[in-house]
Amino acid sequence: METFGVVVIGAGPGGYPAAIRAAQLGATVAVVEKEELGGTCLNWGCIPTKTLIASSDLYARLKSAGEMGLKVEGAAFDYAAMAARKDQVVGVLRNGIKQLLKAHGVKIFKGTAAFQTRNRVVVKSEASPGDTSSSYTAIGAEKTIIATGATSSMPGFLPRHKRVLESRSFLELKSLPSSALVLGGGIVGCEFACLLAQLGLRVTVVELLEDILWNLDADVRRELRRHMENTLGIRILTGRTLENITADDHSVDGTVGEEQVKADVLLAALGRKPVTEELKPENAGLATSPQGFIEVDEYGRTRVATIYAIGDVTGGPQLAHAATSQGLVAAENACSRSLRKNEKYIPNCVFTSPEIGTVGISEQEARAQGREIKTGKFMLGALGKALAMGGPMGFVKWIADAETDQLLGAQVVGPHATELIAEATMAIRAELTATELARTVHAHPTLAEAWMESAHVLEGSPIHSLPKKKK
Amino acid sequence: MVRPISMPKLGQSEEVATIVRWLKKEGEAVAKGDILFEIETDKALLEVESFFEGTLLKIVAAEGQTIPIQSTVGYIGDPGDPIPETPAPPQPPRAEAPKAPGEARYATPPSVPVAELPKARRERAVVPEGETRPGERTLPIAAAFGTSELFRISPRAAKLAREAVIDPRPIIGTGAGGRIVERDVKAYLAAKGYDRLRITPAAKKLAARQKLDILSLEGKGDSGRITVADVQRAIAERPRPMSRMRQAIADRLTQSFTSTPHFFVTVSVDMTDLEAFRSELRAQGAAYTITDFILKAVALTLPEFPAVNSTTDGKNIRWHSRVHLGLAVSLEQGLVVPVICDADDLTLAEIHDRATELTAKARAGKLTPAEMSGSTFTVSNMGMLDVENFTAIINPGESAILAVSSVQKQPVVKDDQIKIRSLMKITLSSDHRVVDGVIAARFVNAIKNKLEEITLWKRLA
Repeated sequence: METFGVVVIGAGPGGYPAAIRAAQLGATVAVVEKEELGGTCLNWGCIPTKTLIASSDLYARLKSAGEMGLKVEGAAFDYAAMAARKDQVVGVLRNGIKQLLKAHGVKIFKGTAAFQTRNRVVVKSEASPGDTSSSYTAIGAEKTIIATGATSSMPGFLPRHKRVLESRSFLELKSLPSSALVLGGGIVGCEFACLLAQLGLRVTVVELLEDILWNLDADVRRELRRHMENTLGIRILTGRTLENITADDHSVDGTVGEEQVKADVLLAALGRKPVTEELKPENAGLATSPQGFIEVDEYGRTRVATIYAIGDVTGGPQLAHAATSQGLVAAENACSRSLRKNEKYIPNCVFTSPEIGTVGISEQEARAQGREIKTGKFMLGALGKALAMGGPMGFVKWIADAETDQLLGAQVVGPHATELIAEATMAIRAELTATELARTVHAHPTLAEAWMESAHVLEGSPIHSLPKKKK
Repeated sequence: MVRPISMPKLGQSEEVATIVRWLKKEGEAVAKGDILFEIETDKALLEVESFFEGTLLKIVAAEGQTIPIQSTVGYIGDPGDPIPETPAPPQPPRAEAPKAPGEARYATPPSVPVAELPKARRERAVVPEGETRPGERTLPIAAAFGTSELFRISPRAAKLAREAVIDPRPIIGTGAGGRIVERDVKAYLAAKGYDRLRITPAAKKLAARQKLDILSLEGKGDSGRITVADVQRAIAERPRPMSRMRQAIADRLTQSFTSTPHFFVTVSVDMTDLEAFRSELRAQGAAYTITDFILKAVALTLPEFPAVNSTTDGKNIRWHSRVHLGLAVSLEQGLVVPVICDADDLTLAEIHDRATELTAKARAGKLTPAEMSGSTFTVSNMGMLDVENFTAIINPGESAILAVSSVQKQPVVKDDQIKIRSLMKITLSSDHRVVDGVIAARFVNAIKNKLEEITLWKRLA
């Protein structure tokens, strides 16, 4: 039996960086992957959707190019070609991971891992696709990092039918339907709704909670919803359930309250559940939570001393970059004597139209905690760059401690919001104050100036917004 | 018409009280019976109601101020009424010396020069802001700093120290008459490796606001950088004054425990039958607590043991003819001991009613000082806290206290058989100056025998 210093189960955005970091720290490393290197993020999540969104965004801009003084006639799209581009991008990245793992001497096992004991993992693999005969390989593991991720939930009330899809099966379509019913107004639901609406589909979103993206700041939600409804023409039904769902050869039908709704397909975006079914964590002495998550402490440690877990399977924020960061922390903690805690500030990016980026505490959370805060908001429309780019919508907002001016949270909604949030994340992690941020020179003309301007607002002396009337 | 509001007299022994919180603001309308402010005495937190209707014109005694009983704390009247000129409320004997706003006073700096001890700056004896009293014991933890009148430092040096967020007091001055000048601060910072200190901007600002010396902070961030969490930890660890109630508890218990030779005698009481009887009574609608039975048993037993129900000063002894039972009640802010007077004259039902009433008042913070004084013996029941056994400290002025622990099922040998019985340990703490072992043993066994004698309770209930 081959034995490794560290065995990483799952080669997603958490698992493969963990494997590389462990190898960098001198461990012999194996990584077990049952499907494709890169996991959900690379193959069926972030990367393919963002590739499609890049196309749909450009298409939407071409259609409104007249505003920019351009004449574009006959703008059209070929979804099959868009999908092929997506597959090509995914292929390049997947191959990149393979090269990286190889270059670091990480051994890749293809198959499904199951614990036999806390220090032994059995990999079940099929000789070729469709072949039912499986082979089993036992590998020894001094330390193990569980990075098995999560998969879309498909609740039992949904009919099993080819018109009822979740995000992964939707991405496998080679041609687009003309209408879609999106069940769930979370991040996945809203991103798909915007993508499809930009490509001309009739889209209806049904969300049980009072609003879409319920966890986000109310100001941010309002801005996004206005654009989704007014510009993209998406119907958003919130605070209601989709009932009596049926699917046949022609359409998917259902009722929302009194109203009949109908579409070519139904996209279920109802959250994700952890992947632990085949892992047999109980053989290693690990119990899962009632929801199936593997619980960890702030150092990424499970209750078994030699086993760590990271990413979606631990039930934290279901974000690729959170998993990556946790993967590095777990690998470092597994391979060195000093312990490092998981990072506290995880930016949250939503690739809707407009985009959203948030990090740290929100205004509502701060008030719920009874914290004394102040906020500084700055409309992107007041920036030269935003006007020059066209479509000057959105804003940035800082949340700062009322006593020390410490930057505690940030939100941005608007063009390139998912890029802009990086600066705010850095500032919050470094515990900068509004003054420090306001004094940092920001290049002109850029959208990033909005952070500086809103820091001036926090200080009560904004340059590019009107002063508050003195009482 | 303008009427003064005065600090009410609460009991015989109270001379001063502290205003904890004003519930009305200046200019706010006040109805008769409205709560005006909360006060804290050695014994309790109390709400003070208004006897008049009108507008709260002026607050004379601010929150946190300790003032003598019956002095004026504010005025009620009609808006626009002229407020009489009054001097500030007189300072009580124990009150702190007046100080300028935002300025703190400190205990003597350490006698050991800072350089001699690696951690000296952390162990410097300082006391929390505003709580310095001459000759008082102080805590060895870094605290807020400021500069006293006697501290000699040049304005430029003070400004540099302030900007560096450090405490200038350990700096040795080389200016005229030992005055600290700018070069001393610079040399001190260099010697302390100030340039190598890493701190986040928010952490530095918070430390400055809280007047913490950043040289005294330990950084737990990346590469030892001082973060907001490190400053918050230092703030949380900073010594702060205990409430007046807590201080009174500290005084009384220390006095009792250090001046009274305590000894302890424990017995196990078999509560199986009494528990069964109690369930029976509850089914009939009479919900007695275990405490009720214990109080009654104690009230029946004390007259048989005058030494246990006595007071001594070490020279004289006074046997009390009455039984006034103190009942220790634990509150969030400390312990109070309401008193059931003449408990030996009360029936079980009366004891139950009185104990229920006093406990409820204690929890609501409504006990008057009179209701908390005059006890001759105290019962402390921790039965609800799941403890096997504990000992209590005698209340000053008494000669014993009974500590009651939880009723727990135990294997017991009875008639040469192992049986499961519900046992409860009771421990008597006695003052050995007046109570000897024999008396204590007889006393606890007398209580035990009464509690185990079910026919007695059938007669009393």
